[in-house]
Amino acid sequence: MITFQPMSLAQRAALGLALTAIVVGTNIDAQKRPRFYPDDPVAREPETQDASKAQPYFIQQMYEQVYNLFVQPGYKPSGTRAQNINTIDEVPDSHWFTNRIGTRAISAEELTRGPNVGAPPDPSRWTLIREKTSGSHPGFTAQDGKGETWFLEFDPPYFPQGATGAVVASTKIFWALGYNQVETYLTTFDPKNIQIDPKATIKRPSGARTPFTKDDINAILERVARKPDGTYRAVAGRLIPGKILGNFLYAGTRPDDPNDLVPHEHHRELRALRVFGAWTNLTDIKAANTIDALTTENGRTVVKHYLQDVGSTFGMCNDLHEWDLSWEHFYQGDTTAKRLFSLGFALSPWQTVDYKEYPSVGKFEGDRWDPRTWRPQTPTTAYMELRDDDAFWAARRVVAFTDDLIRAAVHVGEYSDPEAEKYIGDVLIKRRNKIAAIYMTAINPIVSPRIDANGSLVFENAAVAAGAAKAPSGYRATWMRYDNATDQTDRLADTQSATTAMEGPRGLPTNNGAMVAIDISADSDAYPAWKKPVRAYFRRANGNWTLVGLERMPERLDAQAATKSH
Amino acid sequence: MRRRTQCLRTLGRRALVLAAIIANSAFAQAQEPATREAATEQAQADKSKQLHPYVTTKAERLVDKAETILAGSAIHLHPFFENAYPGGGFAFGAGWAQYVSPYNVLDVRGSWTIPGYKRAEAEFTAPRLFHRRGSLKLLGGWREATEVAFYGLGNDSPSNERFNYGFTQPRALGELEVRPTRRFLTLRGGFEYTNWNFQEGQGSSPTVPANLPGVDAEITYRHFNAMAGFDWRPSPGYARRGGLYAVTLHDYRDSNENFGFRQIDYDVVQHLPLLREAWVLSLHAFAATTDTKADQRIPFFMLPYLGSGDTLRGFPSFRFRDRNTLLLQGEWRIMVNRFMDTAFFYDAGKVAAHTSDLDFNHMHTDYGFGLRFHGPLNTPLRVEVANSREGLRIVFASSPVF
Repeated sequence: MITFQPMSLAQRAALGLALTAIVVGTNIDAQKRPRFYPDDPVAREPETQDASKAQPYFIQQMYEQVYNLFVQPGYKPSGTRAQNINTIDEVPDSHWFTNRIGTRAISAEELTRGPNVGAPPDPSRWTLIREKTSGSHPGFTAQDGKGETWFLEFDPPYFPQGATGAVVASTKIFWALGYNQVETYLTTFDPKNIQIDPKATIKRPSGARTPFTKDDINAILERVARKPDGTYRAVAGRLIPGKILGNFLYAGTRPDDPNDLVPHEHHRELRALRVFGAWTNLTDIKAANTIDALTTENGRTVVKHYLQDVGSTFGMCNDLHEWDLSWEHFYQGDTTAKRLFSLGFALSPWQTVDYKEYPSVGKFEGDRWDPRTWRPQTPTTAYMELRDDDAFWAARRVVAFTDDLIRAAVHVGEYSDPEAEKYIGDVLIKRRNKIAAIYMTAINPIVSPRIDANGSLVFENAAVAAGAAKAPSGYRATWMRYDNATDQTDRLADTQSATTAMEGPRGLPTNNGAMVAIDISADSDAYPAWKKPVRAYFRRANGNWTLVGLERMPERLDAQAATKSH
Repeated sequence: MRRRTQCLRTLGRRALVLAAIIANSAFAQAQEPATREAATEQAQADKSKQLHPYVTTKAERLVDKAETILAGSAIHLHPFFENAYPGGGFAFGAGWAQYVSPYNVLDVRGSWTIPGYKRAEAEFTAPRLFHRRGSLKLLGGWREATEVAFYGLGNDSPSNERFNYGFTQPRALGELEVRPTRRFLTLRGGFEYTNWNFQEGQGSSPTVPANLPGVDAEITYRHFNAMAGFDWRPSPGYARRGGLYAVTLHDYRDSNENFGFRQIDYDVVQHLPLLREAWVLSLHAFAATTDTKADQRIPFFMLPYLGSGDTLRGFPSFRFRDRNTLLLQGEWRIMVNRFMDTAFFYDAGKVAAHTSDLDFNHMHTDYGFGLRFHGPLNTPLRVEVANSREGLRIVFASSPVF
């Protein structure tokens, strides 16, 4: 959440001087700092400082909603490149993100295990200790038969198996996409095997905490789906280890975390939630659904960032009649004006879209859906900062989910109706294919360039490889010597090829530490954007060329251009 | 000379600053990190010198406070806009609400309007009784109305013959509502002990004729009422689907046995969502019939009426009065966004001395357009413009029309 306060004249003057100093400093840096360090590209973002003094902060949900709905629309995207990426345009591992699918092979077994490392809950006895403290679906905080604390959440009556299935399946998907996820398991809640901890309390409307009663349990169970045998299907989320620090925001940095340097709206993986959210229909993207926790690793206390609640997926919603969900933000000026002045005669897409009716599936479909017009409940700053290169990065990860992996992830939802399970998988596959067709073709899709031992350039066309586009008629490359100290290039030669392998020119430098830059473009009438080259940088070491840099889009775009395709 | 010295001093200071910058720059160059990891470490080390906790902004604190009030917890001082009696104009008021137990609230409040309508009362509400099957309301208070309109009896009463009357009324009431299955079936029973003290009307209109029943009387009522109905609207405060079918029986017992009577209210609401609730056809039918007790009469001011912000909206308050009323309302509600609806409406109604005359002939009608600002369960602001043969009226209300 960014907030601005008016500045005094003196403050403005000081800020002006400071900005001037930064600009001058940057120019000096440009001269003295190399574009590439010897350890580039980094695979893991270093977190070198102790963060143990970070203090809990929980965003006020109404404030976040009001801000996102009524202030955020006036936010103009900066158009800047994501700032937490390494020099080869990838997001390094960190306490925000871990490269998994799309970077390495993921088996169905690994995917279905997801974040779960411990044992599942023991449902033989549940001891209720508190109400549920997060999420909108009814639930409890309870200890299982082994005394371990879990957050239990149930299905609403109108979506039996729907909400719980969506939580467990989406947890696996978002874990595979690289996010820190809570360990979740499907479990059983039998009212015959429950007890209330004598110290258990619940917050009342008065604000007072008073003892938890049997009637409080009934009040919750009356609002959830009950199985014919009188038990309840629940999803159990394990307590996140470490000290809970509240939520992370989708803008700015934590002021109390020394390792948190990049404003969150410029984190590629947070921008990419716009694509991943569209794919899975994660409509409730907000700070209140995130958790920061202090964790100690390798002797250092750092902040680990979780997407806590990914259950608002597959069409799940808080009210069966939320027809506009995922088609509009809770408030949008343009649709408000359209309906106001047309008296509702100008129909919105959500009024005519067909949904297949399964009790365990919400309003979820893939035929009319378009990721560019998909909308979460409220827009975050990171959502608004998504650029084409971020979307391309995200799309590659979505495309890495094979049909089998998607069906394996959905299968962990344990839907009793195989048709419903199949339908969710079908929709995810349809949506995946649309994401590939839209985002992987919007910009030059050349990936994984390398120079082989013969000096030939070999690369892949991610859009073609994903089946999202036909191969272009040819590829072109402009080869340049590159001086890392001065950031200057010196043209060597132009080459071209009909395939993704291309002979290199003669005269490539051979000395250790030498660098070349290659602009690679593709000739495609169908996709003119592919003519804009990606630039790859290689460094020579021990007789081999190593990729050290990749730039798919310029550092800064016109804000309008940055957002036009989303 | 002095100016020149100052100028030199300034130049000197600038030179010193420049030298410091150059020296700093040279120092920084010497400290330049050699690796990406070192560069990051340096930046993180720099930030570690300026750490501070999150600072909540003023806007965040304000919204937090508003959320606390809307959530109902820890409410204390609050605005109160309810008038002492319909037609009294905009009410200025305030209240002090206090939780007296985890769910139960005591609210002491009052309001005043420019024509001098006053209201002071204390209300106790217990919303969670009988394992969430019931709720209880107890209210004790006093109110005064100074210029309540009376246009005569009957469906054809002239609009240009307005009389005024006033009253003061101490009252105490209790109301218990039960939903036996916690779902649609709703039962309500209430008792009210009240004393109507008739007063001459104020304002520009003459006071009501002395021959009307109840004029100059002081009537003490024991009012029993019972309601049974099915209500499957998501909320009475805001709904786009569902309905209400209810009947309420009233028994007004005058301690002097002069003005006792019975009344039956029939109330039907049906919301018909169209185009996935983007449109709603909302229909409302209401009829009230009265029945006198032996040798007793109904005071004119207790007769059912039409004309107000939620009956015939294009007519002034209490425009039509008689023993029986029939009101039919239809609205075409249009969802603009999740917080606002617009609506075109049409109202029709009549009053009659006999129930057999409650037909569809000679009904008074109006039509209009309105904006409603709402939450998921309530309608805090309704603004409407209604037109009838008697002119244009603007309605401001803090509740739905039905």
